[in-house]
Amino acid sequence: MNRPRFYLLAASLTFGLAVACVGNGIEPVVMAAGAGAQAGRPSPPPSRAAAAQPPGEYVGEATCAACHDQSYKGTKHALMLNERTPAATHGCESCHGPGKAHAESGDPALIKNPKKMKPAEVSDICTSCHNRASHALWDGSQHFQRNLTCTTCHSVHAPKGEPQLVARTEMELCASCHRPVVNRVYRFHHMPVREGGLTCSSCHNPHGSSNVRLLRAGTTIDESCTSCHTDKRGPYLWEHAPVSESCTTCHEPHGTNNDRMLVSKLPFLCQRCHVTSRHPPTVYEGYLLQNSANGNKIYARACANCHTQVHGSNAPSGKALLR
Amino acid sequence: MRNAHVILAFAFLVVAKAASGQTPPPPQAPTPAPPVASSLPFTGTLDVGGLFTTTSGDEARYERYRDNRDGVFSDLTARRDTEVFLFDANATHIGYRDQRYAVSYTRPKLDFGFRFIGQPVNYSYITRTPFTTEGSTLTLDDNAQRAVQGPTFATNDGTAVGVPCAPGAPPAACGNPAQAAQALANRSIYNNLAPTFDMRQTRNTAAFNATYAATKDIDVDAGFRSIGRKGEQPFAGSFAFNNAVELAKPLDDRTNDFSLGASWARPKGSVRIGYDGSWFNNQFSSLTWDNPIFINDYNNGLLPPNGPYDPSGYSNGNGAAMGRMSVAPDNSMHVFSATALYKVWRRTSLNGTAQFTTQNQNDRLIPWTSNSVINSPVVIAAFPGLAQVPRATAEAKATGVNTLLNFNTRPSNLVNVAVRYRFNKRDVQTPIFDASEYVRFDAVPEEVEEGHTPQFDNSRHTFDANVSFTPTNLGTVRVGYGHEAIARQGRGFADVGENIFRVSWDTYSSELFSVRASFDAGRRRGSGFVEAAEGNDDLGTGATGPGGTQPTLRYYDEADRNRTRGSVVFTVTPTEVVDVFFQFSGGHDTYLADDSVPVSRPGELFGLQKSTVTSWNAGLDYHPTDRISAGGNYGHDTYGSLQRSRNANPPPDPTWTDPNRDWTLDNDDRVDTVNLFLNLLRPFRNTDVRVEYDLSTSNNSFVHGGPRIAALQSIGQFIPLPDVDNTWQRLTADVQYFFSRRVGVGLGYYFERLEIVDFNTIDSSGPNGFNPATGVPRIDWLGALITGYGNRPYSGHTGFIRLLYHF
Repeated sequence: MNRPRFYLLAASLTFGLAVACVGNGIEPVVMAAGAGAQAGRPSPPPSRAAAAQPPGEYVGEATCAACHDQSYKGTKHALMLNERTPAATHGCESCHGPGKAHAESGDPALIKNPKKMKPAEVSDICTSCHNRASHALWDGSQHFQRNLTCTTCHSVHAPKGEPQLVARTEMELCASCHRPVVNRVYRFHHMPVREGGLTCSSCHNPHGSSNVRLLRAGTTIDESCTSCHTDKRGPYLWEHAPVSESCTTCHEPHGTNNDRMLVSKLPFLCQRCHVTSRHPPTVYEGYLLQNSANGNKIYARACANCHTQVHGSNAPSGKALLR
Repeated sequence: MRNAHVILAFAFLVVAKAASGQTPPPPQAPTPAPPVASSLPFTGTLDVGGLFTTTSGDEARYERYRDNRDGVFSDLTARRDTEVFLFDANATHIGYRDQRYAVSYTRPKLDFGFRFIGQPVNYSYITRTPFTTEGSTLTLDDNAQRAVQGPTFATNDGTAVGVPCAPGAPPAACGNPAQAAQALANRSIYNNLAPTFDMRQTRNTAAFNATYAATKDIDVDAGFRSIGRKGEQPFAGSFAFNNAVELAKPLDDRTNDFSLGASWARPKGSVRIGYDGSWFNNQFSSLTWDNPIFINDYNNGLLPPNGPYDPSGYSNGNGAAMGRMSVAPDNSMHVFSATALYKVWRRTSLNGTAQFTTQNQNDRLIPWTSNSVINSPVVIAAFPGLAQVPRATAEAKATGVNTLLNFNTRPSNLVNVAVRYRFNKRDVQTPIFDASEYVRFDAVPEEVEEGHTPQFDNSRHTFDANVSFTPTNLGTVRVGYGHEAIARQGRGFADVGENIFRVSWDTYSSELFSVRASFDAGRRRGSGFVEAAEGNDDLGTGATGPGGTQPTLRYYDEADRNRTRGSVVFTVTPTEVVDVFFQFSGGHDTYLADDSVPVSRPGELFGLQKSTVTSWNAGLDYHPTDRISAGGNYGHDTYGSLQRSRNANPPPDPTWTDPNRDWTLDNDDRVDTVNLFLNLLRPFRNTDVRVEYDLSTSNNSFVHGGPRIAALQSIGQFIPLPDVDNTWQRLTADVQYFFSRRVGVGLGYYFERLEIVDFNTIDSSGPNGFNPATGVPRIDWLGALITGYGNRPYSGHTGFIRLLYHF
């Protein structure tokens, strides 16, 4: 069986098996603390007993629901058996703060409303829990410094798209500020973003990153690009200096009108640096293209018709990246 | 096979649905409340039907990243949400090359995900090649090679043309219109030996990830991803200046990534340590291919330095019968990392990360050359370095260190301070490889002074400090300063530093409008400029720069530079249902001469001089209800650059310093983008309508100028290049009608059209833009044998008709 068919069958089996298990209510042991769980039988939600009489200034979700119809059911926040979630702690008041004063007076100023709070204060609420993994570097990140906050992009109660975005798609959301960048995906040479193969967050982590430009993977632009384009990673015997420096010296990853998403067309891109003698700085124009063998520096792959190993060569005779 | 997969997946879902309909387990006890898992239903959608496509023009380009073959349309989703777990699964386009699957399962202690993505890249269905591929060896018809070579190694005693303007049947060279016309009339023998084939590749990715909450504070996460790539891609393998060959390079490689980490987190802070490993394996470590103009390695019977190879073989085509190149080598990368966040006190936090990286590549090296004439005792005696390679494997290695530290504090509601420090270092540890004697194009052995492998190490220190003031509810003003210091080895500048000043203004509290504006200005300066006395500098006077370049050349990725960038995002919300937005962004880079330019040659500067980018966008969104939304955007982008060069021979030729040989290139790209969308949910009874239209049109010009151009024009040897124009349009429409709450029918339509003129695409009539496009590739243009892959127009229509079932 060839690999694509193997993966397809494995995916189908996994898909169907998971659905069948979930549909039958067959679940692994729930290791909730203090729940007295038994194998194959979920434990009763521990917070239900506590929710009946919330302590101190908390009033409980039922009180909130008497006036407000917003819900977070169907999201990870609602997993009651996960002791970290709002559902397992103080419900609505986990994020909006104790509601006793607000419930008794009806004064909207006596409850935390993210729509009326400063962005950094909203971030403080969310990052009291969302402070690990991809969110660990939010404080001080580029978006944080520009006064964006979690609710700029996400909605707990009324999301339009996944994951809990305020827009239907990532592209639509990111375009609200980065329209010039999003427009590039419509250019002739592009990554498969507009076809749904990639999204903005495939490469970027908008919550903060150890890499530049909020790139998700690696610590340099090269490491980010070669996390998928591993064939270009090297290191090579013969390296090409701009490649070692940054992929974006030559490429525009969001899309361009030049072949292979280059920032300029070949041979002209190469001629920005290769100002030597003889053929590199030759004027490549229409006369050569139509009357000379040197036209092969203009059409098809241009300079890369000969200098094929432009990202680096592992050949002993690879000095000029010819082999 | 594709339809069987759909049926298989459908069957699983039916079984699952039937299973979920079984009697739920009895309640556990009156108090506390019984578990809710089994009482909530499965929900999802089955969207199955037919897909039909018709295309004219470049069909592969229409399908570039998709698979639109006629067949079954499928889109399946299933979801179950309870207070105990969340389950989500979907399958799209089952059985097609762009099929996708995803499963996620979240429980109190476990978060698990799986996804499979098939990503095709369809290059062309009209490419042609005379090569036969067997593994990583590409061969030509021997009889054809003999006919081109002829009975001897004389330049023109062949009876057939292999590559126009190369040895074989006349002409063996092309430099004027008469020779070119003769070459174009004498078609290559391979033209009739090159069947059409589909050039495509597919990248399949399967990834698993899981996070286990060991305790309330501790998580353990692991992930595995495997990416397999198979197919072909256009690549080149040439033998001389006049013998360029484009190939369909076979691909068969796999990347496996593994990650493991543990994190501890509380409201006060978090820590994570992790390991990421990546392994790339290529089934082909090298590529071997036949020379279309020689079946035997060229041999003139002379002795070094005049033979038995042709000392000019790299330009006149007299070279090896086969070429051998290295391709992407097996490699691995390991990253050890630690990330931490600490909230020092209420409004002050410190976070950072440290990462240590190693990259290794130790593939077996191919020989200096595949040419038996060069691998002979008489040549080895003259070039003893070619007897064997200095080492058997690459031993390539690089290590990296990256640290990032962020300090952020809000001492009051009015002020925010953010300070960042980043250190990044790349240390190449590959032992220097001595290639002072090597073989160019498998044709000519050479000895060069700059024959050692370079090591492009670099280290960067980046400091950033920003202070934000929020005096009123009208917004926040931020001012900042950044400094980046880069030390490089092996480049033009040893040290580069850039100072960046920035200011921005962001509003957030008004319900009527919002503004986000920023401006950056940077000044980059280098020191320790390298004016090498090596390379082509036969006079030893420093007449050339590194690698024989013009001494005033500045590489634009490290050259002295002044940079300005600005952007404005302005959104007005006059009512709750309308947003009107305007965005502008722009930037300008100017590259400067270095103070070390010799006084005798003031004002010279080669390379990229400047570049400018601007982008204007305006649009609106209208969303009167949850069921109606519409909007549009118009964008106008410009990109301009100016570069300078000199068309010269090396010193001591007088053209080297002759400013009349200077030329410039002005590249301007202007793009207009239009996006429109309309969503009407239930405008008519039980009917949903969605329509989108996108347009991108570009004019990309390349204009030469300068005294060298004038000189060529005066002798009738300059023809301006035509602009590269393209217009791309896409229309998608989807209408769904529901007979009942669960059952409906859907009709979808997808249209895409590309109009393009690109001079580097060679049709049967010649280069596009100079000649009318025919859409039929020509594989034997002047100086090359190519596959015909290019940029050609198309239009395509895809229709979907399907049944919808919501459960």
